[in-house]
Amino acid sequence: MNSPMRHTLRMLMVLGLLGAAAFPIYWMLVTSLTPSSELFVDTPNLLPRFSQLHVYWDVFALKPVGSWLLNSAIVAVGTTLASIVLAVFPAYALSRFRFTGKGALGFGLFTTQMLPEAMLVVPLYAIFGQLALLNTLGGLILANTAFTVPVVIWILKGAIDGIPLDIEEAARVDGCSRIGIILTVVVPLIAPTLAAASVIAFFHGWNEYIFAQTFINEESKHTASVGLASFIGELSTPIDAVMAVAIIYTLPAVAFYLMVQKHVVAGMTAGGVKG
Amino acid sequence: MASLRLKSIVKTFADAPVVKNISLEVDDGEFLVLLGPSGCGKSTLLRMLAGLESISSGEISIDDKRVDHLPPTERDIAFVFQSYALYPHMTVRRNITFPLIMRRHRWWFHLPIIGGIAKRRIEQSPEVVDLVEKTAKTLALTPWLDKLPRTLSGGQRQRVALGRAMVRQPQVFLMDEPLSNLDAKLRTSMRSEISKLHQRVGGTFVYVTHDQVEAMTMGTRIALLKDGIVQQFGTPRDIYEAPANTYVARFIGTPPMNLLKAYVSGSTIDVGGASMPLAPHLRALFPGPFEGEVILGIRPNHLQIDVGAAGVPGAVSLVEHVGAESLIAVALDHATTAHDEEGLAPNEVMVTMSGYSSLAMGQRISLQFDLGEAVLFSATTGQNLACAQPSHSLISQ
Repeated sequence: MNSPMRHTLRMLMVLGLLGAAAFPIYWMLVTSLTPSSELFVDTPNLLPRFSQLHVYWDVFALKPVGSWLLNSAIVAVGTTLASIVLAVFPAYALSRFRFTGKGALGFGLFTTQMLPEAMLVVPLYAIFGQLALLNTLGGLILANTAFTVPVVIWILKGAIDGIPLDIEEAARVDGCSRIGIILTVVVPLIAPTLAAASVIAFFHGWNEYIFAQTFINEESKHTASVGLASFIGELSTPIDAVMAVAIIYTLPAVAFYLMVQKHVVAGMTAGGVKG
Repeated sequence: MASLRLKSIVKTFADAPVVKNISLEVDDGEFLVLLGPSGCGKSTLLRMLAGLESISSGEISIDDKRVDHLPPTERDIAFVFQSYALYPHMTVRRNITFPLIMRRHRWWFHLPIIGGIAKRRIEQSPEVVDLVEKTAKTLALTPWLDKLPRTLSGGQRQRVALGRAMVRQPQVFLMDEPLSNLDAKLRTSMRSEISKLHQRVGGTFVYVTHDQVEAMTMGTRIALLKDGIVQQFGTPRDIYEAPANTYVARFIGTPPMNLLKAYVSGSTIDVGGASMPLAPHLRALFPGPFEGEVILGIRPNHLQIDVGAAGVPGAVSLVEHVGAESLIAVALDHATTAHDEEGLAPNEVMVTMSGYSSLAMGQRISLQFDLGEAVLFSATTGQNLACAQPSHSLISQ
């Protein structure tokens, strides 16, 4: 197969995949701009009707969408910060120190990922009840962080493994303490990986539903994922409003990803080549 | 500037000794080179001096102050790494300033914004700026002060590493094969730069290398190591002219010293079927009557090739022209050599001749020995007969 033909085929494949990924979002947009009465007609409307844009303002009057988004942002940012801060030091220890039970500890971190969230809801509910963490965003951040920290530790450990030991030893000779080495030398050098790990932690906190639904009872403290589900009524569901909120819900996450995207790509390729 | 004393240093890794009872004394302002092949323990010894590696037993003192229990930062040393070990995320200026910032470091420097401001204030303080710029000027780094290390060439990076060491004005400079990542030309120029730096700064330098040319040209004294034991500790001239044992003789010199099995009988020595009178300094090694096997050590430039004259007979087996001189390999008819540990080319010696040689491969020749410059080694222990004791035990007292 000659080169232009191969290029065309490759482009068609990329466009196909892109279409498959983007179509559900486009369909969300079209549905959000279609009145409920016209949703179930024989010939679906394939183009967005911008005259219906008012639905995006209406949902804010209908439900406390703004506070839900704010709560989601607090939980996601809190989870991200807590995960990174709590993961850097164990990741460094797993990478640099030799101690008894190191292998078991690493495996233990993995096993936490094998437990489904749903299995832990009941025991966590009981514990959070005793610690007065129910109905608090802090409790939610804590629960989410418990799930993201092991993943972040492993990601950061891989990055720290790639830092030449000489650089740390140079810092020791220059007068750095161990904490100083971690904060002054290691953390800046693994910044791209920190960005990649923060995306994972942020999305976990932003998307999480089961804990948010179980631990938070007050509507004002709902996160957006739970708030979105609250639109689904027993008798009717305003599909256009649900889709509008869903679109709004995705925007901050997309913005966060775009912000750190450059670093994430660098983080994913770091260590691939010598030097 | 400081003197350095290592007393009975031992280092074991998982019960395997890598440094075995080494004792060395280095005077203030000396340039000590730790020389040896890979795995001989020279880098481990340097790292123990720096405090990057603990010692299993022994004592390390800098200026008569015992330091082996102190962390690296409290030993007042600077370390230049083989890999440069620059901080990739800091500019050249910050790399050089870093040790000075750490000297004034407080815990709250770790706080994100406040710490950054504090570090910048130190970096911009007049005395630090002055010191850094003076150092950069010395090392011709001024135009690159605000660049990141990744934009610099290997030689420039190595100079930054030197600058980071210099700016601290330490008592002792420790360097672990700092030139081995550079190409041959750059290595030569950096070699002379480090020698000049030593003369200018005047501190005590300890320099690790496996390159004998670096050792011979830079060191005021050399400690040649093998398997964690110092084989010889002396000036480059001592080591070249009077190697303590056959290992040192094989290691130093390009090409190395020729070692030939010989037989001493009274005041004559038999080599390769020829009998020669012993030179006075060799005869002095045998005060009483002696008869027995020895190993004769003679440098390639102390052998002369004659065509058709009397001498030790042989044939030319290889001719290499290296510009100012020619290297001639000669296969001797009746001699057995001891300079190749693996027993390859058991009858071949190397001869250097100035200029371009017209000798052809296979040509019959005879060799003349200048025994006035030769040394004798024990055939059993390999020790230089001029030394009363094995070299490592001599310096380990």
